[in-house]
Amino acid sequence: MTLDPRSPSDSSASSGDSGEVVELPSATRATDIALDELELVYAFIYARVGNRADAEDLTQQVAMKAIPRLRQGAPASAIRGYLFATARSVLGAFWSTRLGVSQAELHEDLALAVPQGPPSDESAERARRILERLSDNYRRVLELRFLHGYSLKEVAAEMRSTVGAVKVMQLRALRAAAKVDPDA
Amino acid sequence: MPEQPENRIERIVEDLLHGRRLRLRAGDAEEKQAIIAAARLAAARSGPQRMSPAFRRRLAQILDSTPREPRLTRRTALVAGLGVAAGALAGGIVGRELASSPAPSPLSASSPVVPRNGRWTDVGAMADFSEGQGKLVRAGAVGAFVFRRGQTVTAVSSMCSHLPCELWWESGSSLLECPCHPVSFTSDGKPSSPSYTLPALNEVKVRVTAAARVEVLGT
Repeated sequence: MTLDPRSPSDSSASSGDSGEVVELPSATRATDIALDELELVYAFIYARVGNRADAEDLTQQVAMKAIPRLRQGAPASAIRGYLFATARSVLGAFWSTRLGVSQAELHEDLALAVPQGPPSDESAERARRILERLSDNYRRVLELRFLHGYSLKEVAAEMRSTVGAVKVMQLRALRAAAKVDPDA
Repeated sequence: MPEQPENRIERIVEDLLHGRRLRLRAGDAEEKQAIIAAARLAAARSGPQRMSPAFRRRLAQILDSTPREPRLTRRTALVAGLGVAAGALAGGIVGRELASSPAPSPLSASSPVVPRNGRWTDVGAMADFSEGQGKLVRAGAVGAFVFRRGQTVTAVSSMCSHLPCELWWESGSSLLECPCHPVSFTSDGKPSSPSYTLPALNEVKVRVTAAARVEVLGT
């Protein structure tokens, strides 16, 4: 195995094939294809980490790991499959390093089908299904806080409660939300 | 005084709702599932996301920064096309084969990490380490992957020996992968590809106590 650009005869000798070569797309075209595919990866990652800075870091990691593959001029479908396999691996490492979450615990979160089109509102739909399965109080506190952006104080006023009680309810609601299987 | 769980979660939720990155602290893992749920709900609030133009430009620069491989054999192209099924493992192998950037020249030989005024840090019980599987631990400023084989343990630095990036353990391929370039290392710290010449990872001192606790020499 060598890292230098190989001549057809080198490849033929090492791989046993005919040594026939195919031209790759232009650099600009390959980069554009890669960026379009990375848009999907970014949306996939953002839907799981919930913030731009971490989503950008992780997407960049995926891109760097995938650079050799991206340069091969493989079909977009193959690139996408590889990028998402890499994205799952990178996300798994992200949660594992920061929270000690095992790959098995993340299995359902990461084992999703490779998207076939532009970013969808999959995360909003998933959130809706989770919230529907919670008790009224838990659903209300999470809706106000996450979907409407209320502060703790505003949630407390809305729910005629105290900030301290809302804080505890938020924790319990998130624990309950984590146990809901939105696909069940 | 330890942070109350509800305050811990509120701190993280506040960060997420203000678009800040996840700044996790020691002990946050106790609420790991709640934190992951919070991250997903925060994402749902903002809907499907696209990369910012600035980030897209940065990625384009990264993608264009290394010379391209001009041609490849049809067989190699087919291998690339089949990479979906092969997954990340095949990607690593093919990636290393086709990486067109020159291999970095060997640096100095790897040596053990021996911190000044180092101290042994308990990183868990032997039972916490799965046979042959890398586990990332921290002993102060020293990050290490610890491997248990039977009743013995070994450890290597968690930092890549070429770029200053933290490795991760890929259990499928049983390799330590670098997120910053297409290289990986075996559990004994050696680069997995003989053609991509890199120093081995630094060894990290590790021992097992009489009480079957694993200790790493850190800071």
